[in-house]
Amino acid sequence: MSGTLLEVTDLRKHYSQRRGLIPALTGQGRVIPAVDGVSFYLRENETVGLVGESGCGKTTIGRTVLRLTDPSGGRIVFGGRDITHLSRAALRPLRREMQMIFQDLDAGLNPKMRVRAILREALTVHERPGDAEIERRIRELLEQVNLKESKLSNYPSELSGGEKRRVGIARVLAVRPRLIVADEPTSALDVSIQAQVVNLLRELQKNLGLSYLFISHDLPIVELVSQKVAVMYLGRIVETGLADDIAHLPRHPYTRILWSSLAGKQSTEVSPRGGASAGDRAWGVFDFEQPAAGCRFAPRCPLYQDQGRPAVCTDPASEPPLRDLGKGHAVACHFA
Amino acid sequence: MDAHVLSGAEGPLLAVENLRTYFYSRAKRAFIRSVDGASLGVARGETLGVVGESGSGKTVAALSVAGLVSSAPGVIGGRVELHSDRVRRNLLDGLERHVRVKEEDGRVVAVEKDERGWRRRSETLMAGVRGKEIAMIFQNPRSALNPYSRIGAQLVEAIRLHTGFKGEREAKERALHWLERVRIDSPRLRFDNFPFGMSGGMCQRAMIAMALCAEPSLLIADEPTTGLDATIQSRIVDLLGELKAETRIATLLISHDISVIQRLSDRVAVMYGGTVVENGPAAEVLGRDAAARHPYTAALLASIPGAETIRKKSYLQAIEGEVLDTIEVPRGCRFYGRCNRVTEGVRGRCASAEPPLAEVASGHKVRCWLHARGADA
Repeated sequence: MSGTLLEVTDLRKHYSQRRGLIPALTGQGRVIPAVDGVSFYLRENETVGLVGESGCGKTTIGRTVLRLTDPSGGRIVFGGRDITHLSRAALRPLRREMQMIFQDLDAGLNPKMRVRAILREALTVHERPGDAEIERRIRELLEQVNLKESKLSNYPSELSGGEKRRVGIARVLAVRPRLIVADEPTSALDVSIQAQVVNLLRELQKNLGLSYLFISHDLPIVELVSQKVAVMYLGRIVETGLADDIAHLPRHPYTRILWSSLAGKQSTEVSPRGGASAGDRAWGVFDFEQPAAGCRFAPRCPLYQDQGRPAVCTDPASEPPLRDLGKGHAVACHFA
Repeated sequence: MDAHVLSGAEGPLLAVENLRTYFYSRAKRAFIRSVDGASLGVARGETLGVVGESGSGKTVAALSVAGLVSSAPGVIGGRVELHSDRVRRNLLDGLERHVRVKEEDGRVVAVEKDERGWRRRSETLMAGVRGKEIAMIFQNPRSALNPYSRIGAQLVEAIRLHTGFKGEREAKERALHWLERVRIDSPRLRFDNFPFGMSGGMCQRAMIAMALCAEPSLLIADEPTTGLDATIQSRIVDLLGELKAETRIATLLISHDISVIQRLSDRVAVMYGGTVVENGPAAEVLGRDAAARHPYTAALLASIPGAETIRKKSYLQAIEGEVLDTIEVPRGCRFYGRCNRVTEGVRGRCASAEPPLAEVASGHKVRCWLHARGADA
């Protein structure tokens, strides 16, 4: 068993929102708990998939883990070192070990720089190699990401989506990271190119021993690349376990709905015409400022309806904790 | 070339033949052949799903049908036959004489277009068609709705414009009826909402109501679920499926998401490089073990992680290379450069001539030399 590379405990990130004149003057903003007590760990050479719908906090976790944004609470331990409160300066040497691939294909690609200059810059951020060494490393990176050498003289705008992604990955690999947070790395790409990039990321993991925190809403791809999966809902992990178990033996009603909605099946869990859940009222609108008291998922939960709306689900004092089911499988539901 | 388009029992409601829509790219100093000889048909009561990657021309084809292409030179040729109960005409009738295209070695070098004459003619042809006979729902519903106008008011306006419900009161009743039909709950409350007060899924429902309230003959749905969350996507697909069963409206459904196409389509057209490379019953084109299909369709399906791939944790079967850029259209098959099924027997033809859409089974056509044995080369 390989060692733990990243351990996150009770991570919190709250954004305050001050809307309108009076809150701005009185300083009474509303607090949005984007991430609200999340714990997980990632081992060397392992991929943990983070899934959930937009607004559930998965990108915020990725950014907070890398300290691109400061956490409001909790603890982040990377490579055995508590980095929760490290200063910018103290973080700098660690930056090269943890990198992020952004959803936006153009992120990190300076439009005024040719690919060669972009890679050169990435190679010289943390060290000062000689020109021959830089050339050697550029060639190595091109080989690793399977990009033609002729592309070195292109500007980002002259590249296709897949090529941009490859340059973005090469740029990240230039600093030889151990952990890569991949935030929706394929969602901006066409299906046929998605497959190329997914294969590339897995190949790199095999060859370089990388660890990935893989953030995506594309469940089949998450299932394919991850050993473990955490399902998030409104800032909390509602279910976590081995990828196979989460995909084939999901316990939390939200995980089930998420999976069935993508498996191309009809979403039979909630009748499209049935009473209160008919439209998007309960379904589409999240209230981040005031998550439902008790279980956050209760207002949308088919199980809650089936069980005859038990009081425990909406009891403010009993938000369901992640309950261990064995084999690393845990679910935050009173009834699942 | 593709004169004989598939026809249902009553004849197709919409028959697009050899449609060509080009744009000029200043950055690349070249013409982009977005749609380049596409043919497809939609029968009454049928949903035709159009799949393809970005740049394959599927959205531009739909915009061309609806007469909504605004960039130059735009639609330059082809036929768009609409045969509904109220309208029977070629929506591109007589437009060709306003356009002259000059081509050299498969590259468009100049397009002369009398834009004003073309536009005037087009507007005459589209009068009473766009919005009324052909309605459209777009990928981003929020941007397609008027942000300064309440949902109800927008619906009432469309209803009074396109249907017999001219009075304020009856139009409002009708609008509420449609909000109900697209399963927006508390329609009376939502009636007074502005688009910004509604979630993405709800905006898409309102957009669908807007499109259907004119009772069009043809609905064009361009990526209706893209950009929505997974669970909302699934609900919008459910809704479209229910409305399809209720209204039997003919639909041209465009999506890059094959699972959406699979769930809603009767027939499927696969586009690549601006043209249709395969066209047939959904079950045959996208089915698990269809015998005859275009290598591109096969590769596209194989690149999606299936149950087997995930279980074995094997690598995905990616399509090598990049999506065809339609500036320089190759002399031969458009997919030749990425095709992994070329055999020595057909290689010469693949490289030198574009294959015809050849029928491989009843109502199922494939544009590939491997399947064109019967066709004269």
